[in-house]
Amino acid sequence: MQERNISANNFEQCQKCSLCETVCPVMKNNPAYAGPKRSGPDGERYRLKNGIFFDDSLKYCLNCKRCEVACPSGVRIADLIQQARIDFSRQAPKLRDIMLASTDQMGPVAGAFAPVVNFTLGLKPVKGVLDFTLGIDHRRTLPKYSSQTFVSWFKKNAAASQASFPRQISYFHGCYANYNYPQLGKDFVAVMNAFGYGVNLLEKERCCGVAKIANGMIPAATRDARTNIASFRKSVAQGRDIVTVSTTCTMTLMEEYPELLKVDNADVKDHISLVEQFLYKAIASGKVKPVWKEGWKARAAYHCPCHQERLGLGIFTLELLKMIPGLQLTELESNCCGIAGTYGFKKENYKVSQMIGKPLFDDIAAAAPEFVACECETCKWQIEMSTGVPVKNPVSILAEALDLEKTSELNRG
Amino acid sequence: MMKFDVVIIGGGLAGMTAATELQKSGLKCAVVSEGLSLHNPSAREFKTAGGTLLNGDSVTGGTFKDGRLQSVTTQKLGDVSLEADNFILATGKYFSRGLVADMDCVYEPLFGLDVQYDKDRSTWFDPSFSAPQRFLDFGVIAKEGKALKDGETVDNLYPVGEVLCGISSSQSDATDRIRLSALEAVKSIRRI
Repeated sequence: MQERNISANNFEQCQKCSLCETVCPVMKNNPAYAGPKRSGPDGERYRLKNGIFFDDSLKYCLNCKRCEVACPSGVRIADLIQQARIDFSRQAPKLRDIMLASTDQMGPVAGAFAPVVNFTLGLKPVKGVLDFTLGIDHRRTLPKYSSQTFVSWFKKNAAASQASFPRQISYFHGCYANYNYPQLGKDFVAVMNAFGYGVNLLEKERCCGVAKIANGMIPAATRDARTNIASFRKSVAQGRDIVTVSTTCTMTLMEEYPELLKVDNADVKDHISLVEQFLYKAIASGKVKPVWKEGWKARAAYHCPCHQERLGLGIFTLELLKMIPGLQLTELESNCCGIAGTYGFKKENYKVSQMIGKPLFDDIAAAAPEFVACECETCKWQIEMSTGVPVKNPVSILAEALDLEKTSELNRG
Repeated sequence: MMKFDVVIIGGGLAGMTAATELQKSGLKCAVVSEGLSLHNPSAREFKTAGGTLLNGDSVTGGTFKDGRLQSVTTQKLGDVSLEADNFILATGKYFSRGLVADMDCVYEPLFGLDVQYDKDRSTWFDPSFSAPQRFLDFGVIAKEGKALKDGETVDNLYPVGEVLCGISSSQSDATDRIRLSALEAVKSIRRI
C-alpha cells in the first residue's frame, strides 16, 4: 500500500471534494473552462499516462491560485495546471502575448517615448487597431509609461545618501515601479529611509517572469529567474535582505521559481519579504518606531490580491494599516478583480475578466471609500478603470501618513 | 509575534461559531483556516466584527509552558508566531486531519493531545456500510471543556466540534452538538 505522496504538486492528496470549484472565479463565468478539479488533478491522471489528453481549455485558468487557498488537502492545483501547459501546450505565444509579457524589454522602449506612447495608446483609433491587429481589447485602459524610470531617478537623486543609514536592504522594485509608476519606488525609498534603512539596487534585476510563465515563454522566464537568484545570493552574502513591493513578483520569486521553473531558491527564500511584512515585524518587535502625522485622516477599503491570499501575508498589511491612527479601514470581501496580469488585456478574455470582477466592483461602490488600499499593480489598473476609485499601494499610504522627518529623527541611531 | 485574546484553529462550523461569538463580545480573535471557511457567511460576519481570518494557512505546532499553550506557529507566517490567552481547537475529524488514523492508533497530530479510541483495531469499523461506525466516535478527550495532554489538563486549550470524541457528523443532531460545544467554550472563556 502506498501511504505517502510521491508525485509532484501533492497531486495524490486530492480527495475529489470539489471545494476548489466553489471558489474558481473563471468557472462561474466561462462555461468553456472545466474548472480546477477537472483541469488539475483529474486531468493529471490522464496526462500522466499520455500527453495527448492535454486540453487547450487549460489556457482559461488565470492562475489566481484561489483553488490552492481553498484546498483542504494542500494540493497545488494551479501549479498542476501551469505545469501541464508548460509540458504539453503546442500553442506558440502570439506576437501580442510576447509584447504583453516582455515587460522589461517593452519598458525601456516605451519609456523613451513615454509622452508619445501614452498619448497614442489613449486614442480610440489606435485602440481599435491594436484590437484588430493584435487582439488587445479596445475597451481596456492601457498602463501609462513614465519618461524617467525609477532606476535612473534613484541613481541621480537617492543612491549617494543610502550608505549613511544604519541598516541596509536590497530593493526588488519590479517592472511596474520602474517603468510605469516610479512614484511607488520613490515612496518606498522615503519610508525605508525614514525607518533608518538604506536602500540598494540589486546587482542585476530582471522581470520576475510571471507574465512570461503565463504566456508560455518558459526559457526566457528561466533565464530571468537565474539572474535574479544570483543577485539575491550576492545581496544576502552582503547581509542585505531583499524587500519587494509587488505581491505577484514576490509569489513568483518564492513559489514559482522552484515549483515551475525548477530554479532553486531555498538558500535565499527566507531573506525575501514583502515590504508590509518587513515593516510590521520591525515595528512590532520595537526595532523601529513610527511617528504619524497629526490630523491625517482617510477612509479606505482594503482589497487583498489573489496572490497575497495565496502567500497568506495579507494579515501583515492589515495589521500595519491598522496602526495608522487616522485611517478608517474596511476589509473588502475576498474576490478576484479579474485582470490576472496580462489575461484581462486579451480580447478573448475581456468580457469574462469584467464579469469576474463585478462582485468586487459592487463591493467597492457600496463601501464608497476615498481610495482602495491594495498591494498589486494590475489590480490597481483593473479597479481604477472599472470603478473610478483610486487605488493606493500601502507603501504610498504610509508615505502620506507618516511624519517622515520625525520618524527619521527617531530611527537614526 | 502577534498577540490575540483567542486564537481559533479551524474555520469550520465549530471554529467560526466560537470565533464570531467571542469577537462580538469584544475579544480580539484570529482564526487559522485551511480553506474550508471561504465564502462562508459566518466568516463574513466574523470579519465584519473586526476578526482576523488567516485563510489557506495551517497551524504547524505550539509551545507549551506550565500546563498552558503559549503560542502557535503557522506555515505561512514563518517566524511570526500567534500568541493568545486562550486557544480553541476546531480541526474536525479525519477528512480535515484534526485526527489521524494510523495502522494501530488514532492520534491528534498538532499537539499530541489525549485521544479516546479502541485499542483493538478490529472494532473500529463495521463492514456493513450503513451500520454505526465506531471510528466516528473517536476523538480528543475533554475534561471540563479543556484538552488533556499526557493525562494533564491544558488550562487554556478548548477542543470543540467534531475533533471531540462522541461528536460526529453522522449523528442526526450533529449540527446542534457541534454548535453547542463551541458555545460552551465561548462561555468558559468569557468567564475568565
